[in-house]
Amino acid sequence: MRLRTVIPVAATVAVVLPLGVMWQRSLLPDHYDMTTMGYADYGGAPEPHRHHGTPVAELTADPDRTADVDETFRVRREAERITINGTSPGPVLLAHVGDLVQVRLVNENLADGTTLPWHGIDVPNAVDGVAGVTQDAVAPGEEYDYRFVADRPGTYWYHSHQVSHEQVRDGLVGAIVILPAGQGPSPLDVTAVIHQYDGTKTLNGREGDQAIAAEPGDVVRVRVVNTDNKVTPVWTTGAPYVVAAVDGTDLHEPTPIEGKRVVVPAGGRVDLLVRVPAGGARVEFPGVVLVLGADPGAAPRPSESLDLLSYGTPADPGLDASRPDRAFDYSIGRRPGFLDGRPGMWWTINGHQFPNVPMFMVAEGDVVVFTISNHSGEPHPMHLHGHHALVLSRDGVPASGSPLWVDSLEVGNGETYAIAFAADNPGIWVDHCHNLPHAQEGLIAHLMYAGVTSSYRIGGDAGNQPE
Amino acid sequence: MLAFSIAVMVVVQAAVMVWAIAGLGLWLDDGGVLDAQTFEDGFEGDAAFSELYGFLAHGIVGMTVIPLLAIALLIVSFFARIPRGVTFAAITFGLVALQIFLGLFGHSVSFLGALHGINALVLFSVAAMSGVRVRKAVATPAIG
Repeated sequence: MRLRTVIPVAATVAVVLPLGVMWQRSLLPDHYDMTTMGYADYGGAPEPHRHHGTPVAELTADPDRTADVDETFRVRREAERITINGTSPGPVLLAHVGDLVQVRLVNENLADGTTLPWHGIDVPNAVDGVAGVTQDAVAPGEEYDYRFVADRPGTYWYHSHQVSHEQVRDGLVGAIVILPAGQGPSPLDVTAVIHQYDGTKTLNGREGDQAIAAEPGDVVRVRVVNTDNKVTPVWTTGAPYVVAAVDGTDLHEPTPIEGKRVVVPAGGRVDLLVRVPAGGARVEFPGVVLVLGADPGAAPRPSESLDLLSYGTPADPGLDASRPDRAFDYSIGRRPGFLDGRPGMWWTINGHQFPNVPMFMVAEGDVVVFTISNHSGEPHPMHLHGHHALVLSRDGVPASGSPLWVDSLEVGNGETYAIAFAADNPGIWVDHCHNLPHAQEGLIAHLMYAGVTSSYRIGGDAGNQPE
Repeated sequence: MLAFSIAVMVVVQAAVMVWAIAGLGLWLDDGGVLDAQTFEDGFEGDAAFSELYGFLAHGIVGMTVIPLLAIALLIVSFFARIPRGVTFAAITFGLVALQIFLGLFGHSVSFLGALHGINALVLFSVAAMSGVRVRKAVATPAIG
């Protein structure tokens, strides 16, 4: 009789107890330091020497320099939308190479607070705009100054990194264009900010076809910024296009493309050049179109994608990754478990679930290789802050085209990419999935420089919640 | 009851998917343009058409409600002295786990998605059979 009672009870305990322990262990404290969680990964090299501790908050641009570009961005929630200076997307932030850019963020009424990172620009760490890592979220009624030097030309964007999965979705996004020094703005240089509001696809905040005044023979530069959480394809009708730049870096000897689409990852940018023919041309996205000159009419969308790893011709990338100082794995998986007490299927990094994820430890001057592999069943647009990474290979096949420098890399399920970068920007830099709900679901880690100490905490009084 | 409720939830799962796909078809006929972002926004609460919530419901029911029912069924089976009750509850639990795996990896390997559909019928059958066994065991006084 006793055994008949003991066995079911024991079996129940055997099922329930591990679940209870897993649940309890997954609970996050009210506030915590990003650099004291998880475990240190030194990338197969010795632990870097820590000389002295420089706090993140001190990693700033020259405080004595006068700003060349001085803007104020007033962020405001109006019902379902978040606007910047009254519009969403916000104004295009225009600067020239060498400019010291200063943007004063004013949070008019976002209850959760907000921040602005400068996606793709290798800014000093203190203005990277990640709540709880590089600053406290800016509370309603407060303001925060961002100062950085526009160090290279290209197309970038700003967005929120506080409760970003909601604030970006609701429209806290805008483009940044950095022109070569001395080059004036041109009506043939167009930004195309792609964003979906409430299921409606928009280009620069508007639906449908939009006309750009252009004459036959004009070369139009279209700066595509994908602010959504998923890839967007772009293709042309009526004329070929050239992918002149990816994530702000020019490609080497790119060739005209016809009959293929180029796929822009979440957070990624491409600059397309289109020479307008007599009959006009269309730059097409799902649901929205830029018409350059006359309208040649729609054509079926191409089914084949341009492979950027074999596009253009090789050149010296200026980085020798053949003998890296540190080599890390960033292997993305998925498994059932608890995240802060919530049951679900959560992402894992190197087999560990957030917050027990690796901290990638580097020293300034290291050449670093990351092998990013994805076994999680879904694609992930991976984004490392503060650095540009050179794509070395995909699934073991070396990149054979132009050097391809990215800050947003689409890693499909089953794919493995090797990327390399120079650790030349000290700080604490998050390295996360730019499908922002995925970051909230634990797909976020960080790169940590020796000698840098944290200044902020996740959670706490500021309510910092970067994902 | 638990076993039958799993079977019923499998039926609900099939129903919400077809409801969602029917709504998707109507929305496309109305000029809607579908891509991955449409789903992403829907899952975040901004659905382009209301039937999109069918996909969301399918995910919630499949990844929380049914697994919780399957765990509860397993625990209850330890105490309820149904002939081979634990075996049936364990098989049901295993099929639920397999179903979640097939569902998630069906996003990347479409063949697994097809198996997800077939496994749903197997899960329905086993869950229903488990429920029938409970009924029989209750109707027939336990021996020994």
